[in-house]
Amino acid sequence: MRLYSLSVLYKGDPKVHLLKAAYDVSTFNFFQRSSVQEFMTFTSQLITERSALGSRASVKEQEYLCHVYVRSDGLAGVVIADNEYPQRVCFTLLDKVLDEFSRQVSKMDWPTGSPATISYSALDGYLSKYQNPRDADPMTRVQAELDETKIILARKQNSCCEIM
Amino acid sequence: MAESPEEVAVLVQRVVKDIRNAFQRNPHIDEIGLIPCPEARYNRSPIVLIENKLGVESWCVKFLLPYVHNKLLLYRQRKQWLNKDELIDITCTLLLLNPDFTTAWNVRKELILSGTLNPLKDLHLGKLALTKFPKSPETWIHRRWVLQQLIQENSLPSLATKGNLGAAPVERIHRLVQEEMNVCSEAAGRYPSNYNAWSHRIWVLQHLAKLTVKVLLDELSSTKYWVSMHVSDHSGFHYRQFLLNSLIHRTVTDNNILVQNQMVNEQNPNLQKEEESAGTEAVCAEEQSVDLPRRLDEEMELCNELIDNYPGHETLWCHRRCVFYLQQHLSNKLPLMSAVVSSVDSSDESLNNSHHSPAISHMAQAMDVDGLNESSSKQGYTQETKRLKRAPVQDSLGPEMEYRFVDKVLSTCRDGDQARFATAYRKWWTESYDLKKK
Repeated sequence: MRLYSLSVLYKGDPKVHLLKAAYDVSTFNFFQRSSVQEFMTFTSQLITERSALGSRASVKEQEYLCHVYVRSDGLAGVVIADNEYPQRVCFTLLDKVLDEFSRQVSKMDWPTGSPATISYSALDGYLSKYQNPRDADPMTRVQAELDETKIILARKQNSCCEIM
Repeated sequence: MAESPEEVAVLVQRVVKDIRNAFQRNPHIDEIGLIPCPEARYNRSPIVLIENKLGVESWCVKFLLPYVHNKLLLYRQRKQWLNKDELIDITCTLLLLNPDFTTAWNVRKELILSGTLNPLKDLHLGKLALTKFPKSPETWIHRRWVLQQLIQENSLPSLATKGNLGAAPVERIHRLVQEEMNVCSEAAGRYPSNYNAWSHRIWVLQHLAKLTVKVLLDELSSTKYWVSMHVSDHSGFHYRQFLLNSLIHRTVTDNNILVQNQMVNEQNPNLQKEEESAGTEAVCAEEQSVDLPRRLDEEMELCNELIDNYPGHETLWCHRRCVFYLQQHLSNKLPLMSAVVSSVDSSDESLNNSHHSPAISHMAQAMDVDGLNESSSKQGYTQETKRLKRAPVQDSLGPEMEYRFVDKVLSTCRDGDQARFATAYRKWWTESYDLKKK
């Protein structure tokens, strides 16, 4: 049961920008870690591009599950986890992070931001804390709309279809 | 880029030497890996040592592997001689690239048997290979062979000081067991449901640790967190089922001896069997520390908690079936255990505290050995046995609890898989257990 990455992005028109990210690749083989991290950065970006504003989805990519939440104001968050990590905790986490981020980082900085320019440092702490879902926030029931979140099987990244 | 046979030979010799030097420079290497690197950088060794990690750049593997593989086969076919050091280096290189190459492990077996190679080196090499190939069957198989060698060596008193392991024999075995538990745990973490790792772990408990109550209990507590964080790992949960099952067998066997001894002693009060009574006391002490029904209850609680927190994992439902079955299995041994029951009143408070069937709470009383030495216990044995054999093992409380649990899950869960598993569980339970009670 593992979280691998937590990213905040901005879904601009037309491009998606990475604003800030945290990674935990410690469970991977030492020499694989940098390429795994690259893969996660790329995948987070791609999935945000393919998701519509105001949507939540869980996309299966190889043996990972990528949980994405794109708010209607364009702020987006992606959690990449394994297939044991409970889905609802991921979305609770994303809600929380995006909420906090939007209060701490001015909206004006989103369209042009990058990890170097954005000052928001809580992601590493969240990623670490949520590694054990039971240590993190209590398991509260998330809103009913999450029940409709389906797991989409993506065979290849390129064939990842437009998520509603 | 090396292409001609001579260049390849030079490259390979250099790489094999680099690997050997790396191990000599750093005896604490704890992980190996392949570095994706399609082309050689000019004049740089493909062997990379960073912190305690040993990496091989991928470009050299296509030259290295066939060459050393071939060299070892030529040696085996007696077409080319290799001295002992060369054999050790070549097999080491080979096994780090492909640990399922049985011939290489077998060459090392010969080296161990001839006394040239320290078997502990093979345990270390195997451990490294498992960091990259956590399932590798040949690595696990060779590991068991090495451990058997070490056990044999351990049991020969003449080799006690000369042996490969330091310290006293019991201490050595204990250390070996602990190390094996660590290796298995790491390998299990690197690959989901790593059957080979978990069955090796079981083998070690059976052959090195001899399935003592202490080791079984230790393992139960040390794997609890692990399975809670790997809720879809069938092999991990199966391991716990094995531990509980072994505990039942162990305790029942010990208890049978206990009861038999008691009856023998009562019939022959003049019989002075000091050894037996001492042994009985030891068994009694061990058995006293295992409250089996409580352990099973705790396991059931753990299972329920995980099912609630992590919906949609079939492993947990399978585990629940098994724990339930073990509880039934245990309570079926009740007649013999009832020898130690001083009173079996159904109105006792343990019934209120227990969340499960009264048969289990009766069991909780049965495990209390305080009544054992009462002179009336022999009389009580006959009466209680008759009573319990007549009455059903569980009353109506058991099925209700199960139905209640499943219904609760079905009414509150929103996960399709969870609903499916809960329904299947209810069907299984109804067909297996409810009808029998009618």
